Amino acid sequence: MAKKQNILSVFLNGLVTENPTFVLMLGLCPTVGVTTAGSSGLGMGLATTAVLVCSNLFISLLRNFIPEKVRIPSFIVIIASFVTIVDLFLQAFLPDLSSALGSFVALIVVNCIVFARAEAFAFKNSPLLSIADGLGMGLGFTGAITILAVIREVFGNGTCFGVSLMPAAYQPMAILVQPVGGFITLGLLLIVVNALRNLASKKSARKEAA
Amino acid sequence: MSEYLVVFIGYLLMNNYVMGQTLGLCPFMGVSKRYDTAKGMGMAVIFVITLASFVTWLVNEYLLLPFGLEYMQTIAFILVIAVLVQIVEMALKKMLPVLYQALGVYLPLITTNCVVLGVTLDNASAEMNLLMSTFCGFAASVGFTFALLLFACIREKLALSKMPKWMDGFPGALIAAGLMAIAFKGFSGLSF
Amino acid sequence: MSNFAVTSSPHLRKNATTQRIMMEVCLALAPAGIAGIILFGFNAALLIAICVASCVLCEFVWQKANKQQVTVSDWSAVVTGLLLAYNLPSNAPWWIAVVGSVIAIILVKQMFGGIGSNFMNPALTARAFLFISWSTIMASYPASIVPDAVTGATPLNALKNVLAGTAAMDGLKFDYVDLLIGSHGGVLGETCAIAIILGGLYLIIRGIVDWRIPLSFMATVFVCFLFKGGAEMALYQLLSGGLLLGAFFMATDYATSPITGIGRVIFGIGCGFFLFLIRVFTDSAEGCSFAILFMNVMTPMIDRFTMPRPFGEVKKHG
Repeated sequence: MAKKQNILSVFLNGLVTENPTFVLMLGLCPTVGVTTAGSSGLGMGLATTAVLVCSNLFISLLRNFIPEKVRIPSFIVIIASFVTIVDLFLQAFLPDLSSALGSFVALIVVNCIVFARAEAFAFKNSPLLSIADGLGMGLGFTGAITILAVIREVFGNGTCFGVSLMPAAYQPMAILVQPVGGFITLGLLLIVVNALRNLASKKSARKEAA
Repeated sequence: MSEYLVVFIGYLLMNNYVMGQTLGLCPFMGVSKRYDTAKGMGMAVIFVITLASFVTWLVNEYLLLPFGLEYMQTIAFILVIAVLVQIVEMALKKMLPVLYQALGVYLPLITTNCVVLGVTLDNASAEMNLLMSTFCGFAASVGFTFALLLFACIREKLALSKMPKWMDGFPGALIAAGLMAIAFKGFSGLSF
Repeated sequence: MSNFAVTSSPHLRKNATTQRIMMEVCLALAPAGIAGIILFGFNAALLIAICVASCVLCEFVWQKANKQQVTVSDWSAVVTGLLLAYNLPSNAPWWIAVVGSVIAIILVKQMFGGIGSNFMNPALTARAFLFISWSTIMASYPASIVPDAVTGATPLNALKNVLAGTAAMDGLKFDYVDLLIGSHGGVLGETCAIAIILGGLYLIIRGIVDWRIPLSFMATVFVCFLFKGGAEMALYQLLSGGLLLGAFFMATDYATSPITGIGRVIFGIGCGFFLFLIRVFTDSAEGCSFAILFMNVMTPMIDRFTMPRPFGEVKKHG
């Protein structure tokens, strides 16, 4: 980490370089569990982003006041409070999304992305950088699970964000919107992403050599 | 009695938290490479979830409900779980060092295992009595451990096969888990 | 000891090659296929051809694309194609057969390392995959086209009603003869009990499949239904649906069934028990595929606990 951390690089780090879903493989449960339709994927991603940004900010602000020894319980309380706020907000203003996501909203508390960023980043960095990190990681997660959700919705239901997309003759592969399809689609998507990353790293290696 | 059997078989096969509801995937993917670690984690999970189901029922019934604080469930339960895991860890270290050696390293990881929080929240919304609630926790965690052990055996077998390189690690494990979920799918709609 | 590892390759005995074994399995499967074509007509033949062709093609293309040695001449893809076709209803559209073949050969078999490395039976997994995805297509069982065929509900559905208490045993529209010759609704390769038993016995006599699995499988089903619905119910259940095809040809798959004798008995009993559980206690009338698939998943664990391991051996972990 010799490079000086600026806001943009921290943001991009979360969004691409250390994408929580495709690179760090964190937060698998919602990734497989709620990505049955584009709207739930996007909603879940944004809800997680909101919690992540708020908890990162708060933990960063309080980092000089929280004793090292009780940091874990403190993180839990801070994260759980924001999760409760987001949960109540969704129930009040977006009841459809709230019921589609079910208990997965409450389970953001134990989403390892949120916890990992609190421990690894926010507790050690300034508030502004922590917000950038929360946004980058959150949107990286949102992007990844929305892609997954759209793939599953298009092939498993024939629609994209509820809009009919496939020709009428297409018979949706219903298995894709079930847990089975979540595992398999994520596995296949990872193979593609890994191949792309290999390609990119080979290219940059060649560039450096030249 | 049969009521308990139905719950047990349900969580083992039909409503399996991993295969049917995709909870607890981090430990499911993370500690399933070797059977022995999977077993350690599984036992620790059974221990903690059963205990957590018991304690969260009491917290819910005597602290949250009387004061209309149901919306605090998430915060209260995760705190209970975190504290419980701490206490269990310390108690085991002092009183049962043998068991602590077997389960010790897995205990801290359990706080962020979403099956624990998921089961306790589900139990609370199902409004059951203390005994049933605790038993549900036990059955759900046995179901989790069952799936975890099956998966560990499969992964040990796959480690010896000639899978393409790009299937190594998560991609292969996820697809294997997907195929495994197909086998569990046959039990959907099981009712006695 | 390394030769006894829980690993790859079909566990060959004697000097038989994979190719010869697979050819004999095809031969044993032939009567059921011919019966299926007679019972369900031209579309059955077409589906068998499409399944076999696309399975072989998938294997060929995959191995070429990955620069592997092409092993389509071992006939294992043909066996998978035949078994997949036998598990389709005769009026299934062509694309169902193609999608099923891709799932079976690529997703289930080749991606996990090819022949012997898959942990679930390719044809059965593909069938279950299709069943979950397109249940209306996969669960429409056309009646047989031969004269005097049993029409209406399949025998299993009729028996399900008896088990549920909504119909009486003597109201059943079929008898043992119908079940043996297969003139009733069902997927195209499972209805003719005689042809399947003939092929299955051939495989057992030739020593290609172990008798323990089919015997323990069928015995368990028989005993369970004996207690549930009496002797006649037990016999009918034994002869209906995919049980015979599954017990002789799919539960006995080398790669996905246990290695030891005792392991195989446990495997067979498990198949029988879960088949009983699904046929009786879920909404579905048939549970053979899922019962075998579930025991496929259990197989590595059964092997783990039934394999003799030399004392002090250090296990290799990948």
